[in-house]
Amino acid sequence: MAVVAGRPKRGALLPKRVAAVTDSRLGSLGVYVVRRILWMIPIVFFVIVITFVLMHSAAGSPWDKAGGRQLSQVVVDNLNKKYGLDRPVFEQFLLYIWNVLHFDFGLSYQYQGKSVLELIAGGWPYTATIGVLAFLLIVPIGVGLGVLAALRQNTRVDYATMGFATFAASFPNFVIGALMIVFFSVLTYGWTGGNFFLPAGGWGMDDHLIMPAITLALLPIAYTARLTRASTLETLRQDYIRTAWAKGLPERLVVVRHVLKNSLIPVVTTLGPTFAFLVTGSVIVETVFSIPGIGRAFVVAVTSRDYPMILGTTVLFSIVIAIANLVVDILYVFIDPRVRLT
Amino acid sequence: MHLRVSIRAVTLAATGLFVVSACGPGGTTSQNLAAPDKQVINMNDGTEPNSYDPTQQTYTYEAAVGRNVFQTLLSSNAQGTDVVAAGAESYKVSDDGLTYTFKLRSGAKWSDGKAVTAADWVYGYKHLLNPALAAGYVDPFFDTTIKGADGYADVDVSKASAIDTFLSSLGLAAPDPNTFVITLQHPAAFFKWVVTLWVASPIRQDVVEQAAGGTFPSSDTTKPEVWAQKAATIIGNGPFKISEIVSKDHVTLVPNPSYWGGAPHFQKIVLWFIEDANTAYAKYQTGDLDAITVPLANVDVVRNDPKLSKEAKVYPKLTTFWMTFNAQKTPFDKPDVRMAFAKSIDRDKLNKQVQHDIQKSILSFIPKGMAGYDESDKAQSYDPTAAKALLQKAGVTADTLNKFKLLTRNTTRNKTLNQFIVDQWNNNLGLNMQLEVIDSKTVTSRIRKGNFDIYGPDGWGADYPDQQDWFDIYFKNSCHSLNWGCVDLPGYDDLVKKADSELDQNQRNKDYATAQKQLIDQAAVAFIFQDYEYNLIKPYVGGLTITASDDQSLPGDLFWHDAYVTQH
Repeated sequence: MAVVAGRPKRGALLPKRVAAVTDSRLGSLGVYVVRRILWMIPIVFFVIVITFVLMHSAAGSPWDKAGGRQLSQVVVDNLNKKYGLDRPVFEQFLLYIWNVLHFDFGLSYQYQGKSVLELIAGGWPYTATIGVLAFLLIVPIGVGLGVLAALRQNTRVDYATMGFATFAASFPNFVIGALMIVFFSVLTYGWTGGNFFLPAGGWGMDDHLIMPAITLALLPIAYTARLTRASTLETLRQDYIRTAWAKGLPERLVVVRHVLKNSLIPVVTTLGPTFAFLVTGSVIVETVFSIPGIGRAFVVAVTSRDYPMILGTTVLFSIVIAIANLVVDILYVFIDPRVRLT
Repeated sequence: MHLRVSIRAVTLAATGLFVVSACGPGGTTSQNLAAPDKQVINMNDGTEPNSYDPTQQTYTYEAAVGRNVFQTLLSSNAQGTDVVAAGAESYKVSDDGLTYTFKLRSGAKWSDGKAVTAADWVYGYKHLLNPALAAGYVDPFFDTTIKGADGYADVDVSKASAIDTFLSSLGLAAPDPNTFVITLQHPAAFFKWVVTLWVASPIRQDVVEQAAGGTFPSSDTTKPEVWAQKAATIIGNGPFKISEIVSKDHVTLVPNPSYWGGAPHFQKIVLWFIEDANTAYAKYQTGDLDAITVPLANVDVVRNDPKLSKEAKVYPKLTTFWMTFNAQKTPFDKPDVRMAFAKSIDRDKLNKQVQHDIQKSILSFIPKGMAGYDESDKAQSYDPTAAKALLQKAGVTADTLNKFKLLTRNTTRNKTLNQFIVDQWNNNLGLNMQLEVIDSKTVTSRIRKGNFDIYGPDGWGADYPDQQDWFDIYFKNSCHSLNWGCVDLPGYDDLVKKADSELDQNQRNKDYATAQKQLIDQAAVAFIFQDYEYNLIKPYVGGLTITASDDQSLPGDLFWHDAYVTQH
């Protein structure tokens, strides 16, 4: 299976492809889903263990300031007592697991008196909105461009499409974001005398969403287009496609019914993790466009050593990724008749 | 004051004050004030306050909200030369300098219309001084001054009874509803400035307890902060109140209808939390923000832009930056070696090439704009020849020095500055030293343990314009909170302690001057530059009183009550 560099690999969670088709394909699906959901419990547990260990082995305490006078030892000791950091790490860990079992993810160190759940619930809707919008751009544009380039291989259309994909993949999104702000906000504001321009960041369920969604979507669009092109080209060379052409089927039928159905399998594989990646946020897009989402909150939590917030966001991310993978696996059953989930 | 990013700025004219006027020297008449619905201003606070409880705030971006929503007993005048009455109408100090009696302002009201009483002040101070709540600004301002507070460090914060005993022993009293009395441990000439700190605000016990769902033991650390989570329960006594908090996005201030000082012009102040300075710069240009800090990379663009350059304001901050040598390590224990490093930095070139000529070189400790600024001692001035001679005299070879590294926080600004500085040392002293760039948290944990050779730039921004706030930094026992190098300065502690409690201002100034000379001549650190702010402010924002103590991108935040928007 084609896995493009830089995209998350699905690795161990990849379902076994079974050549032999059996009659209980859909029947075993329910059992499979329940089992996979139960498997998420140990997965999340190990994510917590690893995060906990890494977090506590990183230098620096949550109370260190990034310059200037530091808090006196007295205050640091009292803060440690307040948040239970004066106890042995193992005890802190058991206490955390116990609390998580009661859906208590603790209080943020950075934002006084705010619970982690409250912060995540407050920030995720912003992140998810941008992520879903970006995803809605990726599927038609990325797949569309890829198929187009494959069908018109080695023509100007192909070169233009792949040129665009290379451009989009190689420009870092903070550059694209900043350039878009300069062009569509500042310069457009000047040209139109302030009558028309896109807002340079900030939140709003309106034209505020355009630039962040495009910036976030560009890179995945590029990957999806290249991946779709490669797998479509491979499919086009198959014997059964030649047969379809030979039967005199119109191009639309050949492409939609025969080519796409097979060439999209590897694309669907990557769209799952891509979706998870998009809805868990991008620190760069959220910073450049000043979106109060959790992508930025996660990075801020890491740099400020806000332990409960780091754990809370990591657990959320691991659950989202696990679910996205599960959904992809289920989709296989419908796309590829040879797949049986066991 | 806790510095916001790694570098902030300062200065100004001798007064330290800028009044930005929308219509030039002619003044503003009521005719050209914008209509009330246009009295809206949008500024960039950069980061959301970690808390809206003023006692818990430590950064200027937090204090900018705290000091507009709450009012302290006294506040600084616009020039930063003395305190003026605020929450108190007047105050008097007993002859022994130990008892401060504040006559509270009659007619002062909370934003819900109730009268502010002495009991609210006592409650606010006790809330601040509760060791279980570990407020960042208690030490050293309050625990070293207020009577009974010296036991702050020893209270067992898990026991409510121990905390109650401590709090009731404090020198805080309300003999009648209009009088608040604070008793000190020892005379402290600077205490009038301590009560101007935003953390020393009154707080409403009934509001705190109602939000917490009833009374709670003083050892509880979460219930006492519930009230500060929602705009509706943040009842303050300042000129503005919070009408809306959108987490991570913005906070909106509107006039406090009950404020004793009358209604302000601004009907709405929206403070946005935009972290990326370039985004804020774009939003200024599209009219979404009315004032911003110019990102360093765009300074020259603004200077060459015919329109923007007219909206630019440069003003000083009471902030000095320096490089710290680990005086616990040979050969940096030798003043000659430290001085050699101090004398081989071309500060003017640094400011020109790396800082777009915004910051100003400084060779002394106290920044321009406050009492104690004195540039007469040029001992640390740039002189590579003298610097080399000093190294020779100290008998230190290049080989010894080459193994030392300059510890650097991994921000672009710090890396650029330090690369320049280390190049200066290498060129001027014939060395081959390296930078050691690591993440900020690791740097902090290392300097706290004294695990570094040279570290910088680090600095100090005044909490209030009294020299005590500065000179206490180099006390021997404050070795691990900002005096990272733990430099040995014979006689310094006694001299500064004497000046801190001395009631005669002239004598204080003299003693501090001696202390400053010692810091410079011993090269306790190498002073580099004073911070200045380079801001853009829309021409229709009038009546701003900008002081050297404002937050970096919120010009005039101490006096927003008097600012306005003109017709445009």
